[in-house]
Amino acid sequence: MTGRSRLLPGLRAYTLLYLVFLYLPVLLIPLFSFNDGTVVAFPISGLTLKWYGQLASEDALLRSLGNSFIVAGATAVLSTALGLFAARAYVRNKFRGKQWSEGLVMLPLVTPVIIVASAMLTLFMLIGLRPSLATVILGHTFLTLPFAVAILKSAFEEFDPSLEEAAYDLGETVLGTFRRVTLPIVAPGIVASLLVTFTVSFDEFVLAFFLSGDRPTLPVYIWSQIRFPAKLPNTLALGSLLLGFSVLLLILAEYFRRKTRRGAADAKR
Amino acid sequence: MTRKSIIELIGIEKRYHSFQALADLNLTLQEGEFFSLLGPSGCGKTTALRIIAGFQEPTAGIVRIAGQDMQAVPANRRPTNMVFQSYAIFPHLNVGDNVGFGLSRSGLSRQGRKARIKEALEMVALDGFQDRHADALSGGQRQRVALARALVMQPKVLLLDEPLSALDKKLRETMQFELRRLQQSIGITFVMVTHDQYEAMTMSDRIGVMFDGRLTQVDTPSKLYAFPANREVAAFIGGMNFLPAELVGERAGRLEVVVAGLGRLDIVRNPGVARHDKDLLVGLRPEQLHITREDPAGYEVRVQGTVTDAAFYGETVHYHVEIAGAPEPVVVSVPNHFHTVDYTRGDKVWLGAQGASVIDLGARTDN
Repeated sequence: MTGRSRLLPGLRAYTLLYLVFLYLPVLLIPLFSFNDGTVVAFPISGLTLKWYGQLASEDALLRSLGNSFIVAGATAVLSTALGLFAARAYVRNKFRGKQWSEGLVMLPLVTPVIIVASAMLTLFMLIGLRPSLATVILGHTFLTLPFAVAILKSAFEEFDPSLEEAAYDLGETVLGTFRRVTLPIVAPGIVASLLVTFTVSFDEFVLAFFLSGDRPTLPVYIWSQIRFPAKLPNTLALGSLLLGFSVLLLILAEYFRRKTRRGAADAKR
Repeated sequence: MTRKSIIELIGIEKRYHSFQALADLNLTLQEGEFFSLLGPSGCGKTTALRIIAGFQEPTAGIVRIAGQDMQAVPANRRPTNMVFQSYAIFPHLNVGDNVGFGLSRSGLSRQGRKARIKEALEMVALDGFQDRHADALSGGQRQRVALARALVMQPKVLLLDEPLSALDKKLRETMQFELRRLQQSIGITFVMVTHDQYEAMTMSDRIGVMFDGRLTQVDTPSKLYAFPANREVAAFIGGMNFLPAELVGERAGRLEVVVAGLGRLDIVRNPGVARHDKDLLVGLRPEQLHITREDPAGYEVRVQGTVTDAAFYGETVHYHVEIAGAPEPVVVSVPNHFHTVDYTRGDKVWLGAQGASVIDLGARTDN
């Protein structure tokens, strides 16, 4: 009991309501995924795991799941690799147009995705790139780069530059310094960036819908299934699994991000 | 005794856009000496050290180490190693791997590397800490690991960037002696950057004093203290009373001067100053003035004055004494022999000084 909550007695109730309003709808998905009936309404007619069981035999679903893993995996690696060099440059170097460049990299966070998606589709068509998983990967890399840069920047900000100088001074090459000092020290940040960008890409719908052509990613597939009421319980089961998976990845990412901070703080001491 | 030179800096300049960080730096360091670059922050001393290490390139000038021009030699191939201000201990490695970091390209066997690591850790009294993790070390231990990691490379020159500034006062004093002892026992050249005059004085064979990107004076600690080249150096190292004086005669390395408030004196001509003039500036160290109630016998200078202030510093007591003819009160520092402050504001006192204590600082207009 702090003095603040006594001062504002309504604050507790407000917070509780806020959280319920925010997360209750999300919780409905796993709840109904165990429902025996096909209609999403109370009362729940009985508990079952059959919808989960049926998922395994849906070929189209499994293919789209595979597509999503390819896209999210490639996106995570690409945007983390690009983000690594960008973040190091932003933290360590001073150069002309740095603020502009940083602003541009962060822009996808605030640009309406639908605009980006239509622009990209137009561009890809213009230069003769057919919609495919590759175009989705390009789009997602653009979209997730700000996340990678933000996470990796915080890893480099905590990193004493004299560590790299020390390695170089001790006879290591530039590449060797990167491999033996820079990489291990920012590794937790890299893992965090990989996990976050993977999750963002894995869940992304709009760009994937515009750019995926005839090989849908999982969110695109789910959207296409929602139109069939009979398929709804399956979709709910799938959604619950995805929800659990995403939360797990983000918890892991946060764990690694904090680990970088701790490691860097030790190095400074 | 002539020793070989190990580092030569010839006409080094460093400019950042319009800011001149280093101007025409010329310096020759001898093999086996402990040299300090001393100056206030921003004077360019760290830039000079980083140019020797190869982390920064001079805008103009030549760096020679062991007779070899270093222009095309990057930091990782120079025969120098650095102890960083933050120590830069690799946080993901244990002590042994930190110290052995630079040996991976040495072509030594595992056993050979182990032996070298052990030897280096013995030098800094940390043998047995090989498996200790970097984050389980105290500040003093981190510094020793940084030293061992640099010394294991057997550099021709060890560079130290403010090596003691991260330590607390007690530890700093102990490490001053340890660093000095270490340097004497291994016999390689140490170049240290510091802003702490006491650190520089106690450890160094020679000190280079820097202000605003210029090397103002290079001398032994005692010479710097006795014959500072100008007012800036005199004020930076120790305390100093500055007094205007008039040059009335000169012969064979001595000057005949009339010092404001002190009268006519015969003093040593300071060979280090840039220029002499009729209007001179002289200095007098506070601890070389004698203060009594009676007329002090046996002093070449004996003047009367009035105490305007007394300050108790612990090991010394400072009195500010106003004397007729001097532009501002003269500071006198007296050792605290008996825990007493003997004079208070308004007391009439006598000051005594010898001509040998009065330091020639050259033409007044230059200072």
